[in-house]
Amino acid sequence: MSGYDGMSEAVTDEAAGGRRTVVDARGSWCPGPLMELVRVIREEPVGTEFDLLSSDEGSRKDVPMWLEKAGHELVRMTSQDGYDRYVIRKKHE
Amino acid sequence: MAKRIVIVGGGIGGTTVANRIRRALEPEVASGQVQIQLVDREGVHAYQPGYLMVVFEKMRPEETRRDESQLLHRSIQLVKAEVEKVDPAANKLVLKGGKDLPYDVLVIASGSALHPELVPGFAEGAQSFYDLSNALRLRSALHAFQGGRVVVSVAGMPYKCPVAPLEVTFMLDDYLRGRGLREKTEIHYTYPIPKVFGIDTVAQPMQRLMGERGVTVHVPFNVDKIDPAAKTIKAVEGETLAYDLLIAIPPHRGADFVGVSALGDKGNWIPTDKFSLLAEGKQNVFVLGDATNIPISKAGSTADYEAEVVTQNVAALARGEAPTARYEGRVYCWIMTGLAQATYIKFDYLHPPHPPTPSFAHYWNKVIYNRTYWDLTARALF
Repeated sequence: MSGYDGMSEAVTDEAAGGRRTVVDARGSWCPGPLMELVRVIREEPVGTEFDLLSSDEGSRKDVPMWLEKAGHELVRMTSQDGYDRYVIRKKHE
Repeated sequence: MAKRIVIVGGGIGGTTVANRIRRALEPEVASGQVQIQLVDREGVHAYQPGYLMVVFEKMRPEETRRDESQLLHRSIQLVKAEVEKVDPAANKLVLKGGKDLPYDVLVIASGSALHPELVPGFAEGAQSFYDLSNALRLRSALHAFQGGRVVVSVAGMPYKCPVAPLEVTFMLDDYLRGRGLREKTEIHYTYPIPKVFGIDTVAQPMQRLMGERGVTVHVPFNVDKIDPAAKTIKAVEGETLAYDLLIAIPPHRGADFVGVSALGDKGNWIPTDKFSLLAEGKQNVFVLGDATNIPISKAGSTADYEAEVVTQNVAALARGEAPTARYEGRVYCWIMTGLAQATYIKFDYLHPPHPPTPSFAHYWNKVIYNRTYWDLTARALF
């Protein structure tokens, strides 16, 4: 399917020490979460950590594959309550 | 007072749903109890799948356009105007110029808009075929082409007619073979996700076919910018490709009035219940076609199938009944795999597509549909 970039919501929180952006793409289907990450990661500075929330199983393959190609870091991935949380660090512009 | 049903958009979705609602409510429309109005900016209906056919000289430009007034039943009023905004609290549209258009039931079929300006260098550096003028420009460019490197690229998701980049790639390969230029040409295909199409069961056979046709695949490739002077296209992933001819799909967004009305998300797509097709939080506003945020192909056939459901639900509301019809995610699209061969995909929310082996027969069905579209789908005569 096509991606639907508007279904997710990115919230940037600078108060928690270090720059952190939550990309809530739950309910967005393949490749929506990945497209949302690609969009948001371009808008934030190097070093920002992202919490990508995705309920789409296709993300488990697509997101790590994209991060490897794009040269950003997958810090960890955890599963909880029907969705996955990808913690990602932007490594370069 | 008559119940007022207002439809926004004179594309495939708006036109076919207007004609179908008219037929479903024939007695009420004939007696004046129900009034149907369709608002369209230009009053010209475009058969957009025809643009790719125009590029490869398989349809003439004039075969892709008709006056909307010729397609709507005579009892449907065509309002040629641009929508400024929707005011759901007051149940009215505000048209540019200040006129109000009140409604009891609203159907939004405002499609998607092309935004090449979102990619630096797109307008100067890329060819496209998503509107008629660009299709004609690409047709001329192909006519003058004598070999070199062609890059086919998708510069943003979502975009309408998801199979179109596959089709233009395969048709181009066939076209160049016919002109004796294929051996002098490299064809490169880029796509934003790590496969050549969004659905696995389609991506696999299409990638195999690209291998057989000598097409080089670059995925994932999210377009960062195009440099028209250097003739290069750069991906956010870091890869840069040189080109002699770049054929690209521009970024899409929903209609501007959706944003002005605060009805949409960041891309101006309208949050829509994927079964009832009601705009989220609304009881008398339906959405169909590209305008929705439903995670399904933005394609004419999607709008066509959705129109069946919206017709049932609008007719029910007009008669004071509950809208119970459900859209199950049906889509049917042909995929041109050459100048005279095709396959197709047919799927719904629960059943993925399995495209059959490409054949001349599937292509012929597509040709027949192109010719019968105006009566079969737009006028909804059958």
